[in-house]
Amino acid sequence: MMKKIRALWSYLNKFEGIHPDNARRGRILNVLLAGTFLLGTFALISITTALSILGTWDKPGNSLLVITVIVIGLGSAGLFYINQRSTKFAAFLFLLLLSIAFAFSDVPAELANGRSTFVFLISIAISSLLLTPFSSFYFALGNGVVIAVLASVAGVVPNVPAIVSFFMVALISWLSSRSLEQALSELRDINANLDQIVKERTHALAESLTRERIEAGRSQAILESIADGVIVFDTRGNAIQVNPALSNLINVPINNIFNASVNALVEASPMDAKNRGTLAGVLTKPGKQQASHRVEWGRKTLSISSGQVLDRDGSEVGTVAVFRDFTREAEVEKMKSAFVAMVSHELRTPLSAILGYAEIFTEQIYGPLNEKQINMTNRIVSNTRRLLSLINDLLDQAQMEAGKLKIKYEMMKPADLLDTLHSVMDKLTADKGLKLTSQLDPNLPETLSGDSARLQQILVNLVNNAVKFTEAGSIDVQLTKLDEGHWGLAVSDTGQGIPKEDLPHIFDTFRQVEGTTTRVHGGFGLGLSIVKQLVTLMGGNISVESELGKGSTFSITLPCEAMSL
Amino acid sequence: MSTLAFIIEDDQDLSTIFADALESVGYQVEQIKDGLIAQQRLKEEVPYLILLDMHLPHISGADLLTKIKADERFKATTVILTTADARMAEAYEPMADFVMVKPISFVQLRDLTARLKPR
Repeated sequence: MMKKIRALWSYLNKFEGIHPDNARRGRILNVLLAGTFLLGTFALISITTALSILGTWDKPGNSLLVITVIVIGLGSAGLFYINQRSTKFAAFLFLLLLSIAFAFSDVPAELANGRSTFVFLISIAISSLLLTPFSSFYFALGNGVVIAVLASVAGVVPNVPAIVSFFMVALISWLSSRSLEQALSELRDINANLDQIVKERTHALAESLTRERIEAGRSQAILESIADGVIVFDTRGNAIQVNPALSNLINVPINNIFNASVNALVEASPMDAKNRGTLAGVLTKPGKQQASHRVEWGRKTLSISSGQVLDRDGSEVGTVAVFRDFTREAEVEKMKSAFVAMVSHELRTPLSAILGYAEIFTEQIYGPLNEKQINMTNRIVSNTRRLLSLINDLLDQAQMEAGKLKIKYEMMKPADLLDTLHSVMDKLTADKGLKLTSQLDPNLPETLSGDSARLQQILVNLVNNAVKFTEAGSIDVQLTKLDEGHWGLAVSDTGQGIPKEDLPHIFDTFRQVEGTTTRVHGGFGLGLSIVKQLVTLMGGNISVESELGKGSTFSITLPCEAMSL
Repeated sequence: MSTLAFIIEDDQDLSTIFADALESVGYQVEQIKDGLIAQQRLKEEVPYLILLDMHLPHISGADLLTKIKADERFKATTVILTTADARMAEAYEPMADFVMVKPISFVQLRDLTARLKPR
């Protein structure tokens, strides 16, 4: 029963879809109506009980009293109904009925100027609450008029101070209701703002979350689908991100790699100590050394490169390493080197024989030759030598590519380099009508640490190159002391020079300027590439300056002390 | 004094050229093309000079060199090592008297052996 009443009450008080002020007024009206209804019910019960006990049902006016009380009860119920549809109309009706009820609640004289005059204040005060705040003035006016009418009916003087006090009460009601409504309205605005802010924030948060999720998902998808193995370590060196390709590459289950430290990963690898050292170096000191490193992981050759992972502020948050399967490439490289070495070796044997026989002719061991025959055998010798030097270049290149060429340091005399150079190259330069000159810096120490055979090769290659591209003039070789720690080799010519756009490629393997010159000048274009690689192996560097039509100068800087390699 | 020289070289052409060079300066030359035969001949004879190739069938030049250097009989014998491999030349340089890297110039070999000839 109580539950049903409560449900009915909350149903009655549910004012949806209307202005909150009207809803509030509707609820107040409901309370007043409920009060009236209960009062009516209570009055009905007590009156009927009293009449039954006294037995005065037939006394005139008594039945009218009962009917009035019933009408009040039914009227409140009706107003509940109207209140559900239009709070304003219901409130107005309620107040109107209240005023009418008051107007008949006593004799006109008492109402106009007597004990009941101030009963009208009730409807005035309530009107501010139930209708608009200002409506209290209308009711004050209305009730004033009612009193005036009642006074004239009763033939008495209306209670003027009471009418004035009606307006005072109206003023007070107006002020209090208005300030209440204003406060409520401000509160609603604040709430609405808050709601808006919360809504916006929630929306932004949801958006950024979604975006992050999409980005993370995309990165994850990329990571999962690339063929290279990727592993990310945090700053403490623990793996925080691993992709399936890495797991396949190193044949370790992905869960075993996850959270593993660099050390654990290195320890678990099927590698020798040297490769382990390389791997640990790559993973702990990203980007400090060369771009990528090769390690032998079991039967596989892996190329590993690593880099720091930086956040937006540029502070290090970890290390990322990329593992690439280099097994096939490494095999091909090895095969190529072995092939070149083998072919070169096999070519050298018959060439040695040709050279030997030709020399036997030139030395006229088996009898004298005529001038033409001597000339021809000389050509056989010089061409064979050229072929041999090409093969030697190929062999050197193959060895350098395989990393097998080592610089052998010993104490040697720079002066000897120039002597040998002249003995080898004088004839060749003279044959082309060129002059080979050389200068030895007196400040250069008498002996230096260096690989004399390789230095000789560098000089011969550079001079050979100069001879190739110089039609007239001279080739000058200089050995100089540059500073305390360095000495230099320089080869200048008065040749055709090198176009500016070709300078960056001048030291490339198998390359000659313009490509077509290979046919004119012969050679594989390996000479300068070998020089560059030898100089790099010696810890030095080479540069070239050139002016078209005037000539070129190749300058090499080398450390005086042997590099510890 | 004997001017016997062994040319231990499996390549016929090179062997001929080396022989020509040595003969032109007055050596008495014996050409051997096989490591095993060389080992046998070295048991029988003590040549004045040996021109030894590193690549030989059956017994390698390196093995022969080790044996020669360990044998007191060859104390006075000069060994010239010939090889096409510069790295191998470096490795055996301390053991041999001379190391010549192929291609070996006829003139160079002739002049060198002429200087080494007993007077």
